[in-house]
Amino acid sequence: MRSPTIPQTLAQTSPVSSRPDEDVIAALHVRLDALERRSGARALAVAVHDTETHRDVRRHADRWFHAASTIKVAILLGVYETIHHGWLLPHSRLHVRNRFFSAVDGAPFRVLADRDGNSEVHAAVGKTMRVTDLALHMIATSSNLATNLLLDLVGLDTVQRSLDALAIEGIDIRRGVEDERAFEQGVNNRVTADGLVHLLRIIAEERAFSPELSREMLAILHAQEFKNGIPARLPATVRVAHKTGDISTIAHDAGVVYPPGRKPYVIAILTEWDPDATGRSATIAEASHAVYEALTEGTVDG
Amino acid sequence: MGEGYRFPLRVVDGLRLEKALRDALLPGRTVLDDAGHERKLPRYFYEVPTWTSAMELRLSPSFTLSEFIQTDVREAAPLRSFPRYVPCAITLTALCLERFREAVGTYVHIAANGGYRSPRHALSGSATPHSWGTAVNIYRIGSVYLDDREAIERYAALARQELPGVWTRPYGMHPGETDDHLHLDFGFVIAAPRYAPDDHLGFDADRRVS
Repeated sequence: MRSPTIPQTLAQTSPVSSRPDEDVIAALHVRLDALERRSGARALAVAVHDTETHRDVRRHADRWFHAASTIKVAILLGVYETIHHGWLLPHSRLHVRNRFFSAVDGAPFRVLADRDGNSEVHAAVGKTMRVTDLALHMIATSSNLATNLLLDLVGLDTVQRSLDALAIEGIDIRRGVEDERAFEQGVNNRVTADGLVHLLRIIAEERAFSPELSREMLAILHAQEFKNGIPARLPATVRVAHKTGDISTIAHDAGVVYPPGRKPYVIAILTEWDPDATGRSATIAEASHAVYEALTEGTVDG
Repeated sequence: MGEGYRFPLRVVDGLRLEKALRDALLPGRTVLDDAGHERKLPRYFYEVPTWTSAMELRLSPSFTLSEFIQTDVREAAPLRSFPRYVPCAITLTALCLERFREAVGTYVHIAANGGYRSPRHALSGSATPHSWGTAVNIYRIGSVYLDDREAIERYAALARQELPGVWTRPYGMHPGETDDHLHLDFGFVIAAPRYAPDDHLGFDADRRVS
């Protein structure tokens, strides 16, 4: 896997005046309403904060969804809090062991390799890996094994405390991933579009612990390998630091979008579906494209 | 290894190490095991100067020292950097494991945190022979991962056959059991090499070696 590079930050982008007028935002809402109806999604929630205009777009933004893998951004925050406090070093090594305990009854469970998005971490079972490498796998290829290893190390309380310390509401972490016993009993991680945007905005604005650690988290988010959501229909010159989330009835994507020549915007697109529904990624990509057009119309270089 | 051979690692008296290391190694201290029995921790350690030296030092034909001291962030902080310290019984463990390796006829892989770990390691809990350097967790033999009942019990039986007195942790998912490795355990063995510092006078190793 390639190493993430430090991305351009908010502070480094050149300010370009633009302010979508009310008509543009109203038209965006109409487009999103039509998209939701046409796609067959049970729910489509969108939250956007534009750091260029300080304008927010909110559509069902406070609706709670199963978090799926978007919860990994919160776990990333918790890992970096432990680094910030010196409890962990970035190069600290962690034993890769595929054995975890359910949040509901403590029963042991494993992350099945054929249900995981990453084989590299599974291949390291019995050995050790660096904390930051595991964090990269957790985000870039959505490794469930890396996620549970990191959460097991830092603890649920640390992650929740990190969120609370930054006054982030709308993210509720209750367990690791692939905990089927917890899932069956309705014990799930939850997010709102508002919550994810708030978290990503703090990281993008370099207010998560320190500018250096914020940039490291952003670099990891920039290494995302699943690009069929938010970035799919954006121009190739647009960089996106983001995290996807998919389970049977859920498809999400949330991240920071960097159009060239203007400040970025933070976006979360959360969707819920019937289990046999199709077109999930295409719907997210279309919603992302609609937001991009509304926010950047006539203001983007190139 | 003829008469002129000298084991390359210095033996140190744990009681003479700096306080942070003593607090992590607890040399000679008594701790309780799972059954409430008192067990006295090792006092003498080999000093391992670098990771490279651990990788280069063969304790037996098939095992280097590095395989027995790979720990993670859960190890006590003073013991995560070099020089590191490992109980002198580690050489005896390596010989036993070599015998096991001959019996299985293929590579034997020791898990991280599965060789020596200090009594202050987050996984150590009550007294465990891992803190004596006399237990190993094997997660893989050849291409077989020991993560199911069949594999664990098959190799545990072979170990008991080939290594008289060895204890193997039973298969299971409850405390005291194992479902993702084979635990081989030679008990709370303390080794003090002939050239270890004197117990009472505290002479250093170099002065005692003839």
